[in-house]
Amino acid sequence: MKKTIPKMSIHRIIWLVASLLFSVLLVQPVSASLVALENSILADLKGTVVDETGAPLPGATITLQGTTQGTVSDIDGNFSIDIPENGTLVISFIGYKTQVITIGNESVLNVQLIQDESSLNEVLVVGYGTQEKRDVTGAVSSIKGDNLENLPVSGAAQALQGRAAGVNVVRNGGAPGNQGSIRIRGTGTLNNADPLIIIDGVPGGNLNDVNPNNIASIEVLKDASASAIYGTRAANGVVIVTTKRGDFNQPLRVELNGYTGVSNAIKTIDVLDAPTLASLKRERYTNDGLTINPIWENAAYQTQKTNWQEELLGQGTTQNVDLTLRGGNNNSSFMLAGGYFKEEGMISNSDFRRLSFRINSDHRISDKFKVGQNLQLVSINQRSPNTLSAQTGVLWSAIRFHPGLPVMNPDGSYSSSQISGEFGDINNPIFTQNTQDNNSTSHKILGNLNAEYEIIEGLKFRVNFGLDGFISDGYNFNIIVNDQIRTNSMNSLSRSYNEYYSVLAEYFVSYDKVFNDLHNFNFVGGYTTQTFNSDGFSASKRDFLDESFDQRFLSVGQTLNGIDGGKSYDALASYFGRATYNYDERYLVTATFRSDGSSKFAPGNRWGYFPAFSLGWRISEEDFFQNVGFISNMKLTGGWGSLGNQNVPGLQYLALISSGRRYSFGGNQTVGAAQTRVPNLGITWETAQMTNIGLDLGFLDNRLLANLNYFIKDTKDMLIAPPTIGSIGTAQIPNQNLGELRNKGLEVEVLFRESQGKFTYTVSGNASFIQNEVTKLVDGNFIGSRLYGRSSQELSRTYEGSPIASFYGWRADGLYQSSEEIQNDSNIANDPRKSGGLIQPGDMKFLDLNGDGIIDESDREIIGNPHPKVVYGLNAQLGYGNFDLSLFFLGNAGFDIYNADRMQGIDPTYPFNMYAETINRWNGQGTSNEIPRMTTKRDNLNHRTSDLFLEDGDFLRLKNVVLGYTLPTPITDRIGVSKARFYVTGQNVFVLTGYSGMDPELGYTDGNLQLNADYAQYPQARSWTIGTTITF
Amino acid sequence: MKNSIQLLLLLVLIATACEDNILDTTPYGQSTSSQFWRNGEDAVAAANAMYEPLVVEDFYGHAEHTFDIPSDDQFRAGDHGEDQAIESFTFDAGNPQLFYSWRHKYEVISRANAVLINVPDISMDQTLKDRTLGEAHFLRGFMYWRFAVIYGGVPIILEEDVIANNYNKPRATLEETYAQIEADLLRAADLLPISHDADDSGRPSKGSANGLLAKLYLYQKAFDKTISFGQKVLDGPYPLADNYQDNFRVETQNNPEVLFSIQSLQGWQDNTHIIYTTPRPWGGWDFHEPVQDLIEEFEDGDPRLDYTVYKPGDMVDLGGDKGLTEYTEDLSSTGYHFRKYSSWNPQGGLNMSHNNPILRTADVLLMMAEAKIRSGQNGDAEINAVRERANRTELTNATIEDLIHERRVELAGENQRHQDLIRWDKDNLVDIVALYKKDLGPLKPPRNFERPKHYLFAIPQREIDLSNGVLSQNSGY
Repeated sequence: MKKTIPKMSIHRIIWLVASLLFSVLLVQPVSASLVALENSILADLKGTVVDETGAPLPGATITLQGTTQGTVSDIDGNFSIDIPENGTLVISFIGYKTQVITIGNESVLNVQLIQDESSLNEVLVVGYGTQEKRDVTGAVSSIKGDNLENLPVSGAAQALQGRAAGVNVVRNGGAPGNQGSIRIRGTGTLNNADPLIIIDGVPGGNLNDVNPNNIASIEVLKDASASAIYGTRAANGVVIVTTKRGDFNQPLRVELNGYTGVSNAIKTIDVLDAPTLASLKRERYTNDGLTINPIWENAAYQTQKTNWQEELLGQGTTQNVDLTLRGGNNNSSFMLAGGYFKEEGMISNSDFRRLSFRINSDHRISDKFKVGQNLQLVSINQRSPNTLSAQTGVLWSAIRFHPGLPVMNPDGSYSSSQISGEFGDINNPIFTQNTQDNNSTSHKILGNLNAEYEIIEGLKFRVNFGLDGFISDGYNFNIIVNDQIRTNSMNSLSRSYNEYYSVLAEYFVSYDKVFNDLHNFNFVGGYTTQTFNSDGFSASKRDFLDESFDQRFLSVGQTLNGIDGGKSYDALASYFGRATYNYDERYLVTATFRSDGSSKFAPGNRWGYFPAFSLGWRISEEDFFQNVGFISNMKLTGGWGSLGNQNVPGLQYLALISSGRRYSFGGNQTVGAAQTRVPNLGITWETAQMTNIGLDLGFLDNRLLANLNYFIKDTKDMLIAPPTIGSIGTAQIPNQNLGELRNKGLEVEVLFRESQGKFTYTVSGNASFIQNEVTKLVDGNFIGSRLYGRSSQELSRTYEGSPIASFYGWRADGLYQSSEEIQNDSNIANDPRKSGGLIQPGDMKFLDLNGDGIIDESDREIIGNPHPKVVYGLNAQLGYGNFDLSLFFLGNAGFDIYNADRMQGIDPTYPFNMYAETINRWNGQGTSNEIPRMTTKRDNLNHRTSDLFLEDGDFLRLKNVVLGYTLPTPITDRIGVSKARFYVTGQNVFVLTGYSGMDPELGYTDGNLQLNADYAQYPQARSWTIGTTITF
Repeated sequence: MKNSIQLLLLLVLIATACEDNILDTTPYGQSTSSQFWRNGEDAVAAANAMYEPLVVEDFYGHAEHTFDIPSDDQFRAGDHGEDQAIESFTFDAGNPQLFYSWRHKYEVISRANAVLINVPDISMDQTLKDRTLGEAHFLRGFMYWRFAVIYGGVPIILEEDVIANNYNKPRATLEETYAQIEADLLRAADLLPISHDADDSGRPSKGSANGLLAKLYLYQKAFDKTISFGQKVLDGPYPLADNYQDNFRVETQNNPEVLFSIQSLQGWQDNTHIIYTTPRPWGGWDFHEPVQDLIEEFEDGDPRLDYTVYKPGDMVDLGGDKGLTEYTEDLSSTGYHFRKYSSWNPQGGLNMSHNNPILRTADVLLMMAEAKIRSGQNGDAEINAVRERANRTELTNATIEDLIHERRVELAGENQRHQDLIRWDKDNLVDIVALYKKDLGPLKPPRNFERPKHYLFAIPQREIDLSNGVLSQNSGY
């Protein structure tokens, strides 16, 4: 083995010694013995705990202050406890304000607990610990589990959409199980900009694996101060998912959830019917002076037969059932959950299924020693159609397939565009959808075991071992296709099998101490490692004599196509520490430091150092502020920090030679080897430096809460693949630490709640205003992106000084109406095509941006910005007696969509069906100024990428609405359940938008380099579900 | 308290003990370049990899043939909208066809450079080493040749550029590019063997290099060298195949006449060009349809016509359920399809093992004939060798017109005609403007060829943009 890098050992030793010294120094000799309780007369106190509506609250914890004695309210909210005279009771329940009551001589106590959803005493989960919200000096958003429950979505990521300021969940289409991309505080890098996901203390999981109904809360660490404790992978923010747990001394509670519903397409694209299509196709030839292709005179293809989109987009279904058991005794508590979720998409053969199982438990081995664990087992099966190609995508195909062809011919075969070259190179989309046979299955495990030992009061040592792994199996069978235009002469089956596991080890100490009731001190620090291992193989065979489903196994194929396999290993090692101090809950300080080593970089460039600090001032605690009655809380925070990102492929410092380059000589298979990557020896961390200023405000006794954050996030040494000029060939170019990027923005969160008698309501809203700008790229050059469709049209470029993935193209300025206009147009004064008669009335006029009188490639510029200026969410929850109603709106405003599908959809030079609006094409002076004439020629490139196809993407969507009814207590008592609620949920109920395409939520199509370009993605569906939650 | 400290120490120990080499990684299943170039097997593997890009769809698998659609032999057909502008000379530098193959040519060059940098230092069998280096020189020269005829001079990336990581270079002049091609091919002719075993057929030989040199010299009007290098081919074991059609049949396609071809093997790496040129109902995509003007160029009874095109009435065995099938006029908009690029599996479907011929001895003979005629000599022997195989009458004192005719029919559909016409036009042997002005029917209407602009295609705009202005455009674009 290689010699250990000395740097690492030194690190470790220094760090451990420092942490230990630090902890020990602060542990002053304490007269540790607790004041023994004096024996006094005990009285039996009985009582009832109810919620705001007066309904009994089972499971509330009642403890005698200063002791470990306590009890829990029963199913009717009743409790009884022995207490000494003048004893003080602490009554608490998760989600409610804790009440402290000193008992006089009463023998019956009725306690009403008030809901405490986002009060200042709320406890937030931050890295390696929790903090009370009032003490937090960084930017943290918290979403409670009940906001995510029972929404008919496959995963928590979708449920998070619009729930917190600065957290943008970009939906990449509506295919079942597609969870979208989470962007925290803008797109922080050109590389993988996904945040770090931590599920129950294990970093690296997938949000889709968690049943949203099992989630207690999600915390999003947004600024450097909050997230720097996860330095390595924190540059894109951190999402911490905490699942529900049982409580000690809690009677068993059983909760059953079930819902079912249907989903349908919201909108289809109006396309031409068969007779109109034929007449416009004929017009192309007539306009060009060409003989009309006889296929368009053929009456057989001029009868409208099929609306392909309607054939393709059927009804989808969503089903969920899950069961949760929670409870605990004095020593152990547990939560046990199992669930089944299934979503079948509108397009047949597209679905997502998840079986999930979870056990969380906590154990008190002694007063000082606690052990806990989480275990999540998930099995996921997913089938996805191709909806992202402008050459073979099924929805793209359905928009374009000939409407005069039937789905099936009278002889039972699928209709085909083999009939004529005029019908395009599209396979019958229903054929494609019905015969595709692929699926991916994965079995996943995510769990941890942690232990905490309290060495002396306030000083705890913790260890946490985690495992995150999966086994995945991909299956794809391609049948022989002879009668469609994209034929496949050989059937084949490929299977791929991958194993992945990640092992986490964390060792850390935490110390809490209050000095003189004024100095509140907390420290947490330690060492952690995580390794990532993957290993897989795939095999493919062809020539299956029988294509029956029961014959689609590798053993049946006659010829070996290929076998492949590989393995990879990555690791991280880190030291971290965080110290917080506050003086009298008024002046708050947090300092964080993390040093990380990543195996992705060469020795010598592996370690990165990420410090952060922040300050807070709770102005409302100052004496001078006590007279300001209407403001009940005011906290000002500010912080700065540095974060890292290493989310790029590993081993880029090596020049790698890959085998598997195929060729044949004289009919013999040969395999070659070629260098597939140019090395970059100096590759190292990408860092993000973030400055944050925040203001928390509470008015009207904190019934109105507001939170404002302003941030500037500068990404430095951004790892970018420099523009790859063709003379390099097709080898991968390594990332280099060259780019710089700035995101800045303002985030606002507001919440108001009120209750009057039976009527309660909560209204909340959040908005983020984020600007993204690339501040430095290689030599001032741009970074290109995915090209659109058959003609490889460029849509997006990333330039220095502009947002990532800006739309790039020509400026269109209406249509030429007459030959005079063409002759006199200064834009084309010197354009050779003018004299050649290649520009005609009805052609698009483009602006000559460089003033040379010729329209060419140098007349392009940035024409649009795909990033919303504001992303906002509005949430209203209303309760009246036993009814509850919640409405959630999501909005994006101030951004452009490039409607590439329409660009091709009204372009007559393609052999496809066209958008119905093409009927309004220019066909004589004054007939249109927007839709060019019919032609078979591209001499003027009327449909080149231009602002003509740029649309305002603004939308406001009623993302979901839930109406619920909870059975009144007398009835539930009679039927023997403690709570029963029934509800109806609507998802994507309506959308207000000016966008003409199917869905304004389009998402990413090429990493971060292309956003909001319409490829006819799988659109989101409108769904209605009914469901029930019953608690026993 | 004691216990807890012990526990703590124990855990710290665990932490320290097992993590020593945690950050060291291994590139499993791959080699780094420092571990790779060890022996002859590595050298051969690296050489084999040079050929891989040739067959991709964006190169000889289709796109490269699109540079011949402006010729008067064929209608573009198919459904690639951008091809219309290529065919009618209305394209601009943004036309995607211009860049499809650019990168793949450079990838071949890059892999050849890697061989030329590393293989000389490997200790291995000298014969094998010579062959490997010869292949690298041949392929690099061949790529620069294709660049030169399409775009003129291009950036020349050689070993020293790779070592210096110097890729964004300005274009070399056409003369410099020609000089590089000549140097590479001469070296290849030195190093390559005269021929290969059957298992290695498809690799270039001395004949491949000399044949391509003859072509280079012809384009440079170095007629004496065309003749002398052509003669080297004729003196080698590269005779014409007995039958013209042997060159276009899977069973006989690796015959000695084929000096170089892109190899294909069903299920391993497919030559998609054959899908492109096949009628739709027969499982193809219906590109590149021959026009009547080409059909009429064939002399009555020339058997080559039957093997060059499908024409109405031809019976073709498509295998499988379709079996013997008649070619009918409605399969094509011009009435014809090229036949050189399709074979059928007995069980039905295109036989993807059909190669893509690049250079044949017949081509070399016609080049020699042309060189002789144009330098005032008699080219009868060479042109008649080609005619004789096709049962054509012998010519005496063949003229340049005879030669032009013979090249057109012998090499129809083999990606030569447009470049031939440009070469001849430059020397006033044909009037390409007038030829392309000819109305060849509604599918092939008159087109405006501008001299000298259209002698070359435009450098892809995307590459110019990416080079940050280092690449210059051809004049007129």
